[in-house]
Amino acid sequence: MTRTEDLVKRLPNDIGGLEAERIQQTDHELEPWEKRCHALADVLDFHKIINTEEKRRGVESLGAEMVGKLTYYERWIVTFANILFQKAILTPDELAEKMEEVAARHSKSSTQ
Amino acid sequence: MPTHDDDHGHAMATAQDDSPPGYYEIMETAVRELLVERTLIGPGEIRRQIEVLDSRTPALGAKVVGRARVDPDFRKRLLANGRTACEEEFGISFYDDTELIVLENTEKVHNLIVCTLCSCYPRPVLGLPPDWYKAKAYRARAVKEPRAVLTEFGTIIPDDVEIRVSDSTAAVRFLVLPRRPEGTENFSEEQLASLVTRDAMIGVVPVQIPTRSLS
Repeated sequence: MTRTEDLVKRLPNDIGGLEAERIQQTDHELEPWEKRCHALADVLDFHKIINTEEKRRGVESLGAEMVGKLTYYERWIVTFANILFQKAILTPDELAEKMEEVAARHSKSSTQ
Repeated sequence: MPTHDDDHGHAMATAQDDSPPGYYEIMETAVRELLVERTLIGPGEIRRQIEVLDSRTPALGAKVVGRARVDPDFRKRLLANGRTACEEEFGISFYDDTELIVLENTEKVHNLIVCTLCSCYPRPVLGLPPDWYKAKAYRARAVKEPRAVLTEFGTIIPDDVEIRVSDSTAAVRFLVLPRRPEGTENFSEEQLASLVTRDAMIGVVPVQIPTRSLS
């Protein structure tokens, strides 16, 4: 793209009015973790920890590559983690440790 | 791992039930457990909210439309303030704290809803949006070429009917009150509601009578 001003005028989410392909009338049943992720978004909103607009902006600030490559709820959970870091509610180390613990729990249960 | 750019890459979900959770699922579990450990959220809250989400389906929106067809006073209240009308008449909780504006289709106006920025949707009355509503093609094109978009759903709107596209936000959601099909003069409220589909309340299709199946 030679016209860099287009990048300035439109953030990654701001796609209304752009050219796009035919609509694929797709749908899928949410996986259990996706539904939990959606419920988590609502609960975070109830407790005024992360509201809908913060979430939307958080997804946007993942940048075009991640927005393009991650699935819908993948974007959400990464965004929640980022915002929780920014608000100093969690640290990256704490999350990394907990993720290791969760993964280890599953690898243990699958070898039994 | 999947490398899809939209949200329809989950066809293998059932085959993966016994496989270990992926990176993002592990992240979801970890974030949730950390928040519960710090008592920032309650241990049962996610499960309870999943029950709320499961209780919201397009059948709820259809019930609202059915009532609006037979009760002019309710219809008036619904068009004046969708949220309070739904709360008062049906006890529908607006758990996501959004306003609801109900848009009535007429002979002269056809309404279509979209969220160009993300996926805002009248979830308290319709449940979660279909994937195509969240995907780029619909979000990009609905505001620019709504007639072409509608044609892809098999909907042809006459040229003398104005098409209004309403773009949802985090705080304001829309629901289309579709036109009542001809030939339903003697239908009960329940029969009228049973004809109303999710896509009709998004505005991409009209309400239709299934061919000769109702007496």
